[in-house]
Amino acid sequence: MAVTTNTAIKTNSAINANKKRGLLHELVTNRILFLMLFPTIAFFLINSYTPMVGIYYAFVQFDFNSSLFNSPFVGLQNFEFLWKSGKLVQLTLNTLGYNAAFILLGNVLAIFLAILVSELQGKWFKKITQSVLFLPYFISFVILSVIVYNMFNYERGFLNTVLKGLGAQPVDIYSKPGAWIFLIIIFYLWKHLGYSMVIYLAAITGISDEYYEAAKIDGANIFQRIWNITIPMLKTTFVVLLLFALGSIMKGQFELFYQMIGNNGLLYDTTDILDTYVFRSLKVTFDVGLATAAGVYQSIFGFVLIMTVNWIIRKINSEYALF
Amino acid sequence: MFRKTKKWSGAILSIALVGSILAACSSKNNDSGASSSAPAASPTSSSSESANASPSGSSGLDMSKHVNLQFYMLGDAPKDLSKIEAAINKMAQEDLNATVTFNYTTWTDWDQKYKLLLSTGQAIDLIFTADWTQYQSYAKKGAFLPIEDILPAAAPTLQKFVPQDMWDAVKVDGHIYTVPATFKEYVTNGFVWREDLRLKYNLPKPVDIPTFEAYLDGIKKNEPGIQPLAIGSDVRGALSDTFREISHNPVGAPLPYGIGIKYDKPGDVYSYWGSDEQLQDLLTYKRWADNGYISKNELNEKTTNQEKLTTGKAAAMLGDNPNRFNATLNQMQSTHPDWNLAYYPFPLARGFATPVHPIHNGFAVPKSSKNPERALAFYEKMVTDKRYNQLTQYGVEGTNYTVDNGYYKMVGDANTNGFPREAMNGWAWRNPEYMLFDQSFDGVKAIFDQLDQIAKPDIFTGFAEDYTSYQAERAALEQVEKQYLYPLIAGQVKDVEGGLKTFMEKAKQAGLEKAQAEYTKQWQQYLTESGIK
Repeated sequence: MAVTTNTAIKTNSAINANKKRGLLHELVTNRILFLMLFPTIAFFLINSYTPMVGIYYAFVQFDFNSSLFNSPFVGLQNFEFLWKSGKLVQLTLNTLGYNAAFILLGNVLAIFLAILVSELQGKWFKKITQSVLFLPYFISFVILSVIVYNMFNYERGFLNTVLKGLGAQPVDIYSKPGAWIFLIIIFYLWKHLGYSMVIYLAAITGISDEYYEAAKIDGANIFQRIWNITIPMLKTTFVVLLLFALGSIMKGQFELFYQMIGNNGLLYDTTDILDTYVFRSLKVTFDVGLATAAGVYQSIFGFVLIMTVNWIIRKINSEYALF
Repeated sequence: MFRKTKKWSGAILSIALVGSILAACSSKNNDSGASSSAPAASPTSSSSESANASPSGSSGLDMSKHVNLQFYMLGDAPKDLSKIEAAINKMAQEDLNATVTFNYTTWTDWDQKYKLLLSTGQAIDLIFTADWTQYQSYAKKGAFLPIEDILPAAAPTLQKFVPQDMWDAVKVDGHIYTVPATFKEYVTNGFVWREDLRLKYNLPKPVDIPTFEAYLDGIKKNEPGIQPLAIGSDVRGALSDTFREISHNPVGAPLPYGIGIKYDKPGDVYSYWGSDEQLQDLLTYKRWADNGYISKNELNEKTTNQEKLTTGKAAAMLGDNPNRFNATLNQMQSTHPDWNLAYYPFPLARGFATPVHPIHNGFAVPKSSKNPERALAFYEKMVTDKRYNQLTQYGVEGTNYTVDNGYYKMVGDANTNGFPREAMNGWAWRNPEYMLFDQSFDGVKAIFDQLDQIAKPDIFTGFAEDYTSYQAERAALEQVEKQYLYPLIAGQVKDVEGGLKTFMEKAKQAGLEKAQAEYTKQWQQYLTESGIK
């Protein structure tokens, strides 16, 4: 305890003195703290910041014989293929739309389920529900896509065999672009719900029982307790998860789309996202420059988005903002 | 004082912890290198004398320093690879003071991995090349080392072993970038169908598209549970390209950007996309889909065509090469001895066959190689030394295979044997003198003999396209093709003419004309340079 107060006082005095004596003094005074910080800084420098040099690949013509900075500079030429097919707007909208649906529905349903599970009384039933919801998380999309294909195949799929058995007309799901908007969202939720539910469940467990007891004594029923205690207490978790998710809103879930849709061009209008588009385009024409250009576009978009949302949140309530 | 040490020890502990994370990462990266050099370390000391004495083996090659070669092949590694690698390394250590690590990419996303291997500058000494891995383009862009000056010193036997016309055939811009395989084979396509069903229902023998269609129709009518034709999700490769091969006499396949070139008139380049020829083809595909010869959901199909044939889910394939046909037949008869497949080569219908081009199988030394001389010296051993060659093609005699009456015979079956025939995918280092064939290969040989009679040179594969100046258009076209052309080929667009019009509009928007014009220009230049008319 003495140590912490000691350092705290030191830090305070250092901040005051800093203006006069500069960074070097600051480093010397708090050398232990900086030393302790160093590994983390080094870790991020090596793994996150140094590779950013590679962004430059987006602006040069890739060449096997010369190094990155000797390659000829081509400006924005590498970005051309993104809008050449005239689909960039649609792709961006699709990507944003799906991710928004994933984030919102995913979180809302996860909170709902977490509250339900936390209010369950039977210990065994609770554990089993939790496990059953969590299990799909471990099933890969490759396997899921085979299951889905065998369900919806026109000639011998499960769905159409049942329909034919009932005397109804078979439906060809694989030629209905509209249906896949719902299907993809459903598959995503099916797979990820259990995982995010556990996070919220942990947050609920962290809420002190005293609040609930006090509310009970005041005569609040279960819905009032959930609405006035649980949900407000989960707000911070929700905002943090939301901001993390927004950072990768332009990426993500490549496998889901790639495995479910694959080569089926009939469905691309509603199911093509940036990742799958880039993958397909570059599967044949692989060029480091083009691939980096696509990555840069996604990163810049994600960066702008997260800054904006964080700014809005800070305006509303600065305590919830990430930074 | 105590407090201070505690503080320090805390800091050191945290550094040590993070340090160990970093170390774990880096050791993971070095893992393959370290583990492969470890077994090599012991022989170095014992055989250093012999290594010093042996450099006389190949003239003028400095072998005083031990090296470990990185060898990259596509596909899945056989189960017993480590045993073979150990045996090879024992010999290579003595002969060349070198060891080798055999690396495999697996077939999953091999094309991505191949491209990354070449473009990230990772040190690789030998890598597989083929027309279908875009050898010509990579060579043109400078991904490989020119080897014509290294060969005389490093691999003189190999240089003599490969005939001069083959060395000439793989040249790109006047340089040799790969060591071609010398085994002569045909990878031309042919109809594959269930002969037992054809005889059962007395259907016509497929020799061209109308008879093939009649066969499909007969299957549809008589066997409602079987899908007549297997195509799979690669509708362009398995349907469009093959259909063009049998119907329109193209110079080769696949021709990019909807280019059309006939074998007889290589100088005339036309646009197949948007042509009446294409419209008629698309209408045929549509008819096939409407009649139920192929699935409505072919674009989402997950199983391979060969698998559908062997399990009895489908009754024909539009095109496959003789070798693979034979493999499918063997596989099928191992589980269903009473079923039978038959084959009719397209070349018989077309009137000529092009033997495989030397570019089709080869090994190159990438630019990133640190030991190009030793790599080629080692590759020479793989091809021309019977011990190396048979070990890497067939495994250990007695354990993995036996030789029976001159024929190759596998021990056990494909599941129990750790190294089936050519399990290392050693197509490129096949040596006709040392090759062993399974008895069933006689059927393929009979097809090859037939094709030998009508052999004509392949004038397409030698062409090296350089798409640097139009790669944005190329990438965009790839996209348009998948979205608008694939459904047309799969027969899933109701209005074929309208669909084709939309596709052409989008393709033009993506820069079709530029890509076609550039390709045509390069192609014609190639024709003049190589004197083809």
